Amino acid sequence: MPSSLKRKRARGAERGQEVGTDASSVGLPSDGELLEDEGPEDSGGDEEVSMDGVEPTPGDPGATSHHTSKPPTGEELRVIKDAVNLYQSSSFKLQVDALLPNVRPSMKDSRKAPLEHFLHSLRSHLISMRAIEPQNPVSAARALAKQGIAVPFALPHPTEDAKWKVGFEPPSDVNIVGSWANQICVKRKEGAPFTVDVTIEMPDSLFQEKDYLDSRYFHKRSFYLAVVARSLSTSLEVDIFYQSALGDPRLTILVLSPRKGSQNDFSKAHAEVHVIPVISSSNPMPLPRLSPSHANVRLPGKSSTGAQPTPIYNTNILLATYPKLSLLTTNALKRLSPAFSDAYALLRIWANQRGYGEGPICVRGFQGKGCWWNEILGLVVLGEEPTNANKANVRKPLGKGLSSYQLFRAALDVLARQDFSQKAVYVKSTNGHKYSPDEYTSHHSAVFVDSTSTLNLLADVPSTSLGMLRYDANETLEKLNTSSESDNIFAQLFLNDQTRLFKRCDAVIRVDLTRASKKRSAHEFVEYGSSDNALLAAISQTLQRGLSDRVQAIGIFHPSSTMCSVSEAHGPLLSTIYIGLIYNTENAFRLVDHGPPVEEQDSEAGRLFRQLWGEKAELRRFKDGRITESVVWEVKTSDDRAFIPVAIVRHLLRYHFGIPISDTRNPQNYFDAKLRLPEEVSNIFQASGSSSGFKSALTAFDGLVKSLKSLGDQFPLVLSTVSPTSEYLRYASALGPVPIPQSAYLALPDSYRYLPIIDVNLEFEKSTKWPDDIRAVRKVKLALLEAIATALLSANRVIRASVCTADYSGSTGQQGPSLEVYTTEGWAFSMRIWYDREATLLERLSASARTPVGLLAASAANPREQREAQQALEIHTRQFIHAPRHHRAIANLAHRFTAYPGTVRLAKRWLAAHWLLVTHISAEAVEIIAARPFLGSGTDHPDGSSSVPRSKERGFALLLEFLRDWKPEEPIFVPIYEKSTPSSEPTVVAVSSKQGVWTISTSEDKSGRMWTSGGPDIIAARRIRAIAKEGCKILHGTDIDSLSVERLFAHSTDDYDVLIQLDPMVLPRYHQSVNVDSSAWSKDRTNPREDDAIPRPGFDPAWLLFQDLQATYSDTLKFFYDIYGGRYIGAIWLPTVSGVRPFRVMGGFSSMPVSQDQKTSERNKGTVVLNKQAVLDEIERMGTGLIKKVEVRERS
Amino acid sequence: MSLPKVVSGFTVIPVAYAHSTHIIYAKAHASSSKPTKPAFPPERTLFLVNVPVDATERELSLFFRHAGTVERVVLDQNDLGDPELQGRASGSGSDSEDEDSDGPDTSMEVDAEENAETRPRKSRKDKGKDEPAPPAVVPLPAGPHRTLRKTGAIAHIVFLDSSALTKALTPLPKPRAWPSSEEPRGLARYRALYDEQRPPLDIVKAHADTAMELYEFELAKSRRESAYRKGEALVDEDGFTMVVRGGAYGKTLGGGVAVASKQFQATSKTGSKKKKESKEKTSFYAFQKAEKQRQAIMDLKKNFEEDKARVEKLKGSRRFKPY
Repeated sequence: MPSSLKRKRARGAERGQEVGTDASSVGLPSDGELLEDEGPEDSGGDEEVSMDGVEPTPGDPGATSHHTSKPPTGEELRVIKDAVNLYQSSSFKLQVDALLPNVRPSMKDSRKAPLEHFLHSLRSHLISMRAIEPQNPVSAARALAKQGIAVPFALPHPTEDAKWKVGFEPPSDVNIVGSWANQICVKRKEGAPFTVDVTIEMPDSLFQEKDYLDSRYFHKRSFYLAVVARSLSTSLEVDIFYQSALGDPRLTILVLSPRKGSQNDFSKAHAEVHVIPVISSSNPMPLPRLSPSHANVRLPGKSSTGAQPTPIYNTNILLATYPKLSLLTTNALKRLSPAFSDAYALLRIWANQRGYGEGPICVRGFQGKGCWWNEILGLVVLGEEPTNANKANVRKPLGKGLSSYQLFRAALDVLARQDFSQKAVYVKSTNGHKYSPDEYTSHHSAVFVDSTSTLNLLADVPSTSLGMLRYDANETLEKLNTSSESDNIFAQLFLNDQTRLFKRCDAVIRVDLTRASKKRSAHEFVEYGSSDNALLAAISQTLQRGLSDRVQAIGIFHPSSTMCSVSEAHGPLLSTIYIGLIYNTENAFRLVDHGPPVEEQDSEAGRLFRQLWGEKAELRRFKDGRITESVVWEVKTSDDRAFIPVAIVRHLLRYHFGIPISDTRNPQNYFDAKLRLPEEVSNIFQASGSSSGFKSALTAFDGLVKSLKSLGDQFPLVLSTVSPTSEYLRYASALGPVPIPQSAYLALPDSYRYLPIIDVNLEFEKSTKWPDDIRAVRKVKLALLEAIATALLSANRVIRASVCTADYSGSTGQQGPSLEVYTTEGWAFSMRIWYDREATLLERLSASARTPVGLLAASAANPREQREAQQALEIHTRQFIHAPRHHRAIANLAHRFTAYPGTVRLAKRWLAAHWLLVTHISAEAVEIIAARPFLGSGTDHPDGSSSVPRSKERGFALLLEFLRDWKPEEPIFVPIYEKSTPSSEPTVVAVSSKQGVWTISTSEDKSGRMWTSGGPDIIAARRIRAIAKEGCKILHGTDIDSLSVERLFAHSTDDYDVLIQLDPMVLPRYHQSVNVDSSAWSKDRTNPREDDAIPRPGFDPAWLLFQDLQATYSDTLKFFYDIYGGRYIGAIWLPTVSGVRPFRVMGGFSSMPVSQDQKTSERNKGTVVLNKQAVLDEIERMGTGLIKKVEVRERS
Repeated sequence: MSLPKVVSGFTVIPVAYAHSTHIIYAKAHASSSKPTKPAFPPERTLFLVNVPVDATERELSLFFRHAGTVERVVLDQNDLGDPELQGRASGSGSDSEDEDSDGPDTSMEVDAEENAETRPRKSRKDKGKDEPAPPAVVPLPAGPHRTLRKTGAIAHIVFLDSSALTKALTPLPKPRAWPSSEEPRGLARYRALYDEQRPPLDIVKAHADTAMELYEFELAKSRRESAYRKGEALVDEDGFTMVVRGGAYGKTLGGGVAVASKQFQATSKTGSKKKKESKEKTSFYAFQKAEKQRQAIMDLKKNFEEDKARVEKLKGSRRFKPY
């Protein structure tokens, strides 16, 4: 890009010169040269000429010096049009182009040559290997074991008295197959090397017709592999390992990785060689015997007629002929569709980023399924093979000229729409079906038959994993359909790791398998190949049945199997799996699971139901008269209800697999505990008899509105609206509101006495009686509030009512007076009156300076009054215009998304625990940001969108990730209001370091500063990013227990210069603190003092002290505090007051002169430094009775 | 540690705190700008810088009692934000912290809790000497309590006697402890403040009613005094008719000349919403169509180039390595 630009500039200059040398023909040949050099660029220039129909003016430097002013050439135009039309957007295409070279192996000769050399020597070595006489398998294995090579025999293991023999002959063919041979291979996760698949064809002479029986084929294959391993380990200088996909010994292969510095060092190619034994298509095992319906393992003690079919076993034998065929079909596809390899790369990256493949956290069942992704694309390109049942609506082949993006998208579409377990898919094959399609559908849980028509590639993939895949594909498609920002979407699709379970699943359950019962039938072991596989298949089936429509998808995650030494036949057993649930909001929290009705109790369905649920299943009669088998989940609180799906998983795992409850871990309870008062505290409140929580608060509010309306005739003006603005009335406060009736209040110790006060705005009908002066308006408000108070008191609706004449914030009367009422049940409300002309009056006051001197100027306010008016106006706008709107929007969101309130509450608790909420970030800003994982930034984000989190833990994890990645200076838009569109880009206003740096716009607040103008400033914003990063790290850790949740909410005080320790005994909110020290109040209950006889709703001296400190020392210190009863106020010295400065009268900080002995020259005279200790002493004096001590901390 | 006695012409007065020494800077008050109406008598006024944040008048007078009797203390919180004062870089001793014209009045009222009702009283004092007595306002309770000021604040202390000033400015041998007055601090202060801000309802009622009476009274008075009569033009002392906004139909008072609207004054734009619709057809001539097409292609290319540049930038930052 830059180089071409330069060239064009040069050319422009060249042309400019031509004007000067017009007469001489010197310029012409050089111009001709340039033409050849530039090719399309210059022909563009020619086109410009012809299109304009103007005389060619080559000398016009203005037209040519700027490259964009030239129309594109035909070629360029085609590229541009392609990019725009064939991809999601042109920038998407450009990003794809930038991505692809990074995921392909380097094609440089210097890198490839050593590998090629090695492959040649490998081939020559294999072909020249000596044959081994057939012998008894057990003794042959014993002989190999002596040389340190184990034979990875499959189940059932061969016995001494086996009548068949294993032998070795050099391979009849050695081939390079798979993605490397087709040059479509894609980088693997975690820097794992590229794989070069080499097949060694075992000669037909080694096999007999009956080898398909009793794993005989697999035993012969294992022995063959072991012999090859032994031979290679001695002769070629490479490291040799066994690897078996999913730990299935039948799929064991040899992995050869380069040894540094050896003769065969091909590490430059960043590849490893996989040696896969295969058989030729002419092998003696009859194909019909391997169809899914055949039972090919005879277990001792069972008659051969009654044996169950072994479809997975059969598939694994058939896989031995597959690599070569797959190579050919893929190659054909590549030739057929030019964009195939790019599309394949995109699909694989997409899948890898979501754990469908290898890695530490993988969706179960997709390891070693590389060919499946080819076949998906093959299905898209070739279409579906018609079956008898489904002739009419088979998938038609798509056009071959599709772009890579279109192919990728079509493949996603298949993955999203097609439920392979419901509807079998047969890729178009050349010679029709080999086995009857019915055989597949009746013996496999999911069916995807490849183009050879013999293999069901999904035979051993559990249907839960396919559900997860379907869910992921759906989510991606949704994103592609709705999002407008292609930069972002591209990163989400391909660049970001999406395997983090906590942001991926609504619930994550860690299951320890070590104590799971391994008792399964012998048939299952033989069919699934290993005990782990059998267990997980059963778990998958059970969970799917048990959770049914409660979930959209269930994911079973575990690390993919790794390589193991050739001296070990089997890799280690799986110890831990993670079960991820993605809820279906409508059904997830259902209380009852209905089974079949009583009439069918003895039927198969009834038996299955009881078998599934065990002792939980019971017969119940329901309100509508039905009597059915059912399972009822007992819940006491809403937290319990949100826990039902996890409880089901726990129950099923315990009942069916003997996994104790303690081995199934889920952090939800720990998070719940953060949003609750500790039990001992809530018991005390419950004793008072009033019901707490958001619902009760809303009921109390409704009651207040009713009383106000019924007393309306006693007010001088008619009350028109009562609008709530409190977080307690929109399910958004970190802790639920707790009322304290007056009787209970007086018995409580100080540290319990916080009574939440609920803000409400009152609006009266319009009247001309209001005065036209702001001060008088406030007096009228006082009078109105007094009238309401008297009316409420005389009607006995409230037990206390007082008019609050000022706020604590120092600046008096800015917020206007409020009426505080205290109800019998113990709720406290604070009411303010909204008078709409107040804004106009304040505007007039604050703007009067600008009006020219004249009549108005006589009444002009002084600068101080103006400033106050401006502040008052800001508060007025926020409190009366934006707060009610915001409240409605948030309340709406809480109804739309069940997990939203929980997310907000967790976020608030978390920010508060890190001493930032309210002190630096307004609660409203948190509410808006927390909506982002639910709403995205897009215009219309459907409610049912699959990416919407359905549990608060996931919402919180997503929010943390957002906070971590969000650069504070970037403005964001959050569509919390319905039908809102991001009309215009919010502009970043120049912000000083003291103001808030966040810009969060909504459709009602275009500037995006309404809730963030006061903070967080740059220091706090950085701190938020830092703690979010830390939090993400904790959540990304695979193991979440109570300790890590504690860690998430634990605040490190290392960064503070000063810690002001408060006395928890006198903090009314101390009982809300994240880490309450219960000894603080259990020691002694302070005897009520004289002045404590009345409840003080909303009284929080710690918060008042914090505000005072902030106002007093705003230029000296920056303070941090946990509003939920924090025991410490932290502070840091601001750099603006550090060091030696000249003395100023308006210095704005407490100083002391530099002591004389330090003074060196006369020049230094009149310099001062911050008097830190005096400041701290003053602080201690300010907080008399509140502050225990002020700690100064040395920061290294 | 030895502190200098004088810093930039200010005497350093150390105050002993619990664990440290606070420094108050003191200097004789020198009024330079308005000698005609001195707010503070220069010969007996002490100017202080860096007064403790929670200092009360009582505490300050107690602290300086050793020098002589203190007549009054002015803690100037109102002036803190005054740009005139802020802009003044002191150190050279231009500490003429005199007030607006109503200096002495403020000194008494500055500590009152509600500024709102002090103001009407003020205006009354300024204007109506011979008017009928205005109604008195029942005040809201304002008990004695501390006002916290921003750190590093200034104060004036007026002594009864000019000799006290020199005495106050003589350096002391050792720091004296900060006295304490009876106003509550800390938790007790917050409790008191909380209760005080919620006065009994009858007082609120009386206060609101009387304040409204006063407002009505002021309104009536200003109406009487106002030069403006409905429909009459405004004429100043020299006999010129003034052109001011406020008449009907955007004209001056009394009619006649039109006055620029507020909107025009602010934005220099007239508020007319009429937008001229261009009658010209945009794709009528062949060349216009060609031009349009060309423009479309050019835009396409421009957008593409922009995208390209953006992706290049992303390439730098993100490196497009998925894992």
